[in-house]
Amino acid sequence: MSRVITITSGKGGVGKTTSTANLGTALAMQGAKVAVVDADIGLRNLDVVMGLENRIVYDLVDVIEGRCRLRQALIKDKHFPDLCLLPAAQTRDKDAVSVDDMIALAHQLRTEFDYVLIDSPAGIEAGFRNAIAGADEVVIITTPEVSAVRDADRIVGLVEAFEKGHPRLVINRIKPRMVNRGDMMSVDDVLQILAIDLIGVVPDDEQIVTATNRGEVAVLDRASRAGRAFVDIARRIGGEEVPFMSLDEPQGLMDRFFGIFGRRSTR
Amino acid sequence: MSLFDKLFRGRQERSSDVARERLLTVLVHDRVKLTPEIMAKMKAELAEVVARYIPGANPDEIDVTLMRGESNDHIKADIPLRRSAN
Repeated sequence: MSRVITITSGKGGVGKTTSTANLGTALAMQGAKVAVVDADIGLRNLDVVMGLENRIVYDLVDVIEGRCRLRQALIKDKHFPDLCLLPAAQTRDKDAVSVDDMIALAHQLRTEFDYVLIDSPAGIEAGFRNAIAGADEVVIITTPEVSAVRDADRIVGLVEAFEKGHPRLVINRIKPRMVNRGDMMSVDDVLQILAIDLIGVVPDDEQIVTATNRGEVAVLDRASRAGRAFVDIARRIGGEEVPFMSLDEPQGLMDRFFGIFGRRSTR
Repeated sequence: MSLFDKLFRGRQERSSDVARERLLTVLVHDRVKLTPEIMAKMKAELAEVVARYIPGANPDEIDVTLMRGESNDHIKADIPLRRSAN
């Protein structure tokens, strides 16, 4: 059965687009047919993160306004033919699309793909509401910082109000050394505050920047710790029980595996 | 907090703990919309209720705090009772 998952956060810049690109690729690597949808109309980004910016002919608004068929707008990924991108429109804004449009689009995509990942814009207004309209499930991305967590909490409330089930959490850009020094909130701290199921923890990783520079995703780089974290999250999305990896860098003396983590979800 | 406390305790509080405590409080306030007017009204009514059973509750002295707990948000009211010469 196909699943439509919206990736959102509230706060901007915490890693929704990076997560969508990486999770989409990881799921495709595991053999699924995946569509990733850039729902940030007017601020197109998913294409550039995946290195597909030169292949855009039609976009989501063209599909909704009937200027092309869905198939014509979908762009096959460079590495995985079963991974397709539906890009956002760059010259329109969020009013070009309605909630009903997005629900219809999700239905259409559902018939052809195992997973539909929708990259939500930041915020809580129309763009966000459009992005979750067609979703079965929601994944919330946060970083372990005060503003991001506060905004994520608001999103949790809205997701529940819109009856999209229990959202699941990805804590992105965690810096284990800062956590150990008490300079950054830990996974446990964030879970105590947000109290939703955790589906993944992604360490801060310079490889994300270099990968995006090249238009490649980090999951394809075995040396990238963030990439490995995204692979694990994709496996959990698929229903596998995957233990949370120790975040301490190789030089760490003790495995703080059990010290860092609290509640977690593997479904 | 004495000068001693400020000098020595202050340095020991980890910023991550401060962040967590602030968030636990601010998020409950975000969800529970208690304006200062509503808060004042609630305190007055609380004092009234308590006064029906125990004399000496002063609404101005009631301290109401909102905190996020493990599975719920909590509202706590600390109601000091005047020690009357009885």
